[in-house]
Amino acid sequence: MKTLVKYLVTLIITSFAITPAFAQGYKVGDEATDFKLKNIDDKIVSLGDFKDAKGFIVIFTCNHCPYAVAYEDRIIALDKKYKTLGYPVIAINPNDPEVQPQDSFELMKQRAKSKGFTYPYLIDEGQKIYPQYGAQKTPHVYILKKDGKKNIVKYIGAIDNNYKNATDADQKYVESALDALLKGREPEVKSTVAIGCTIKTR
Amino acid sequence: MFSRLLNSELAINNLVYLIVMNKNHNNLSVLYLLFIRMKYKKILPALGLLVYLFAGTGCSFSSKTDKIEEISIVNFEQLEPEFTKTDNVLYVVNFWATWCAPCVKELPDFMAVNSEFSNSDHFRMILVSLDDSDKLDGPVKKFIQEKNLKGVDLYLLDDIKRMNEWIPAVDSSWSGSIPATLFIRNGKSLKFVPNAIEKDELRKIILELKI
Repeated sequence: MKTLVKYLVTLIITSFAITPAFAQGYKVGDEATDFKLKNIDDKIVSLGDFKDAKGFIVIFTCNHCPYAVAYEDRIIALDKKYKTLGYPVIAINPNDPEVQPQDSFELMKQRAKSKGFTYPYLIDEGQKIYPQYGAQKTPHVYILKKDGKKNIVKYIGAIDNNYKNATDADQKYVESALDALLKGREPEVKSTVAIGCTIKTR
Repeated sequence: MFSRLLNSELAINNLVYLIVMNKNHNNLSVLYLLFIRMKYKKILPALGLLVYLFAGTGCSFSSKTDKIEEISIVNFEQLEPEFTKTDNVLYVVNFWATWCAPCVKELPDFMAVNSEFSNSDHFRMILVSLDDSDKLDGPVKKFIQEKNLKGVDLYLLDDIKRMNEWIPAVDSSWSGSIPATLFIRNGKSLKFVPNAIEKDELRKIILELKI
């Protein structure tokens, strides 16, 4: 019995010790990397291109995930509202189209056209960017605020607290965080979690 | 001729017995069968067959042919006590959804591994669907039937507005991506895997955690 307890304790400690190795990516306060990713208009987009922006709403999202689809209209609304205030939406599809054919570059173009996306919809070719951010699912939002040449992570998580019904969402996490940042304050809620689709890799 | 009749009689007796055994809650049909048995002894075989066929097409026998495992809609306060009991049972709690491709892919492996351990009193698998509750009676139940999800406890967690509360309560490192599987005993989380698990890996984890 004693050895069993020892074994279990070791196992628990090990499992805790291993966890941080998987939990890569940014925390609030970290500097986020810029990138050069291909947009649906075949042009390369970087955060550095947006000279007048105060920051960014970087959203890892895709075509196939029902949660991502449920938020499309809200993402368009966020972009329309906050782009003029200095925080444009930058959407990035992190999925490998080989694994998830619905998320191919061609179908991204089609989806953006039919839905009338007002923001860049980039493909993370080679899947190099999403792991640096630590995105784990779609949709997964990172709000960045410019600080000189740096982009500092200010919020990580969900858009609001009701994927199913936008009008019944009574906690609009992203809007609240942006409103705080625009007033020169730190967001009250800096990170949230929500169910989403795993990022598809080979 | 006589012996053939006797055989039919025996068959009917067996039939009555079968119905009693299988449908002990449907007493009325049994009584009815006994009643007609007494009254119309001569045409009994034919009548018996009719009753049997009728029962087969109706709901009486459906539990035998196309029974769907029960699934209840719960909020997190109702779900949590189901896997945090202090009963020395290793609960394998898998969070899935019908729209989640990797979840759908791994479920047959989970069912196979479940059948290997389900004889143990110290093992229980719980499948928690995160589908839209509006889809329970349609796609979710259809999926459960088609994929033959049996011998496990099934729940649909309908608590979407409080994801930011119950996701960290399941595991503090969980971002909310599915599939995700929690291994927990006596309310103590032993392992949490926020990814798909292959059959051999799942078996290995259970063996490592089992008393």
